Amino acid sequence: MQLTNKGSVATALAGAACALLGTPAAQAEEDMLKDWKFDTAILYYGETDRVSLVEGVINASKTNDDDSLFNVKLVIDTLTGASANGAVAQPYAQTFSRPSGKDGYVVNAGDTPLDDTFRDTRVQVSSSWMQPFADTWRATGAVNVSTEYDYLSLGLSGLLEKDLFMRNTTLSAGLSFQFDSIDPVGGTPDALTSMLTPTYIGDDNDEGEDEFEWDDDYEEGENKTGSESKTTTDLIVGVTQVINRRMLMQFNYGLSVVDGYMTDPYKLVSVVDGAGMTQDVIYEDRPDSRTKHSFFWQTKYALDSGVVDVSYRFATDDWEIDSHTIDSRFRFNLGDNNYIQPHLRYYQQSAAEFYRPFLNQNDPMPMYASADYRVGEMTAYTVGLKYGHKMENGHEWAVRAEYYQQDPKNAGFDEPGVLADLDLYPSVKAVILQFNYHF
Amino acid sequence: MAIQQAYTARNGGHSELAVSVQSQDGFMLGTFDAMASPCEILIETADKQLARHITQLACNEAKRIEYKYSRYRTDSVISAINSSHGKPVAIDEETFRLLSFANTCFQLSEGMFDITSGVLGKVWHFDGSDRLPSQSDIDALLMFIGWQQVELTAGSVALPAGVQLDVGGIGKEYAVDRVATLLLEQAPEVSVVVNFGGDIQVTRRRMNDEPWYIGIENPLKDEQGETLVKIFQGGLATSGDARRYLLHEGKRYSHILNPKTGYPIEEPPRSVTVAADSCTQAGLLATLAMLQGKGAEDFLASQGLTYWVYR
Repeated sequence: MQLTNKGSVATALAGAACALLGTPAAQAEEDMLKDWKFDTAILYYGETDRVSLVEGVINASKTNDDDSLFNVKLVIDTLTGASANGAVAQPYAQTFSRPSGKDGYVVNAGDTPLDDTFRDTRVQVSSSWMQPFADTWRATGAVNVSTEYDYLSLGLSGLLEKDLFMRNTTLSAGLSFQFDSIDPVGGTPDALTSMLTPTYIGDDNDEGEDEFEWDDDYEEGENKTGSESKTTTDLIVGVTQVINRRMLMQFNYGLSVVDGYMTDPYKLVSVVDGAGMTQDVIYEDRPDSRTKHSFFWQTKYALDSGVVDVSYRFATDDWEIDSHTIDSRFRFNLGDNNYIQPHLRYYQQSAAEFYRPFLNQNDPMPMYASADYRVGEMTAYTVGLKYGHKMENGHEWAVRAEYYQQDPKNAGFDEPGVLADLDLYPSVKAVILQFNYHF
Repeated sequence: MAIQQAYTARNGGHSELAVSVQSQDGFMLGTFDAMASPCEILIETADKQLARHITQLACNEAKRIEYKYSRYRTDSVISAINSSHGKPVAIDEETFRLLSFANTCFQLSEGMFDITSGVLGKVWHFDGSDRLPSQSDIDALLMFIGWQQVELTAGSVALPAGVQLDVGGIGKEYAVDRVATLLLEQAPEVSVVVNFGGDIQVTRRRMNDEPWYIGIENPLKDEQGETLVKIFQGGLATSGDARRYLLHEGKRYSHILNPKTGYPIEEPPRSVTVAADSCTQAGLLATLAMLQGKGAEDFLASQGLTYWVYR
């Protein structure tokens, strides 16, 4: 027998089977709207005495009859509060200028200098389409746009997946390009040049506000230029393997190449003398290229009434930041409609080769320098708990509460004079609260 | 004791049939025996009472179809048709639909799928032995094979004397789909997998959009391990049974018979599993692929299907 009319046998049988079962072909259309799934979430992230963030997320996805998947996501967040500006604490009050160059702020003796002008709203829209084809292949294309007051990010990515060995193995390869441009408030400061600081006059004016006075020869934006940009190319290859009915394992390798402006235009470095006293405060400077390799392993294991999800990531880059992340979630089902999920995460990184908590004025000026604790040596951990509930109508909600602590460490720098008595590496503590609704 | 009670209940006809329900990781598993197969119902719920109710519904429907269409039961519709000695037999709408489907399959396969070919089972015994029937035995049966001899109308069917129907090739898949349709009506919010001995239908997607993992027939599982298949929705059916064959003078004879020659198909795969919208559709596609022998993979590939073939 040669069934020559290719493709048509399956179609004819589909029709015949519908006739046999008395199922109308129109039934599929009625279910169309039901195939849209919505995830909404609101998240609060608050650091003690520092930044806080409120974020809203709406995610909509639709599965089509051919198992293709369309997804669109909107994220809006607002950030307010204070962030470490990179300068070291001093035994006396310090004055800094605001990024705009129009105003200043004073930091009390012994306090880690924080710039409290952070106030920004970010809007991010992303969308993706996943298309299965030729039985065992899937292709995904995605775009994203994100804007803030001083920042614009555009991204494009593609992912190809192939199922093998009776679909127990999936190979994946992806490529993405990201373009970011930053137009800092007050301009981009010239690298490693002094921050021009006004003189603090007092707060005894009528409005009760601090007042500052600039030198006569000060010109707004005199050591600053316009906007900057960077491009990021990411390559990722991975394999996912079904080990058995209960266990799934995944390995990924990622290569990330960034080119362009990676300096934080709002971050400073203190220049101190032999007694640890600040002589100058300069703008930081970071290399304009970065190549990063990351290795990721994840295992999910289904228990009789729950799921164990453990992952480990190792990343290393040519800035000499090596990091290790261990992340674990244990989901315990409490009956059919409720679950609790404890979360533990531990993170550790080494300092970037150009990280300097401060510079010593007697040492030659390095090519690059940043005192941002986020590129310094640190450990961080997260402890959290999530509770989820499925309602009678099939909708689900979940609440998550987490505690997050970053502990910057001294990566072997001597602390001359007064610096020895000051806390140069204060911990950052934060709480995360999230509410999710899925329907 | 339990077995005795189940037996009594079954013979009582109207009493509830024996089902069992156990809790698994993330779902309930209902089991019973029907159509000479172990039947499993996977139910995405933690409500044991609901699971028991669903399993019972499934079992009742499976038994109804088995009793109606089994050629081994003297009180079945098929037995009534097969013992009609050439006279037309009145049939109900469901039987007409089932036989119409068999007709479509006969036409689509150009006569290779034929529900009158079951008589060959009188001479072929696929018991792993080397006993082949004689050519004269086979020739004597070929005249009783041929769906084109059957007269089917919306209210009746007439077979020439000696011709027998055997809907075994579609009955189990049909039962799976019927049960799945019934369960979707009765429990529209619950994702259920109906699995009758490897013929499978999922009633609807799971709540969290996770797939069901189903082990499928893999004749090489001792070497390769169990094959797990992810299924979100739709049907899955397997054709082939590695344990049913004859070995004669070093040649392996499969149990898939060509109704035109009365001989086994040459070089069919040991097993074919196909995914499709419905279990019935999947089952027929798997069978048609088997009937292609060497060309099974080419056939499946040309149909743009998801499939698994073992040789």
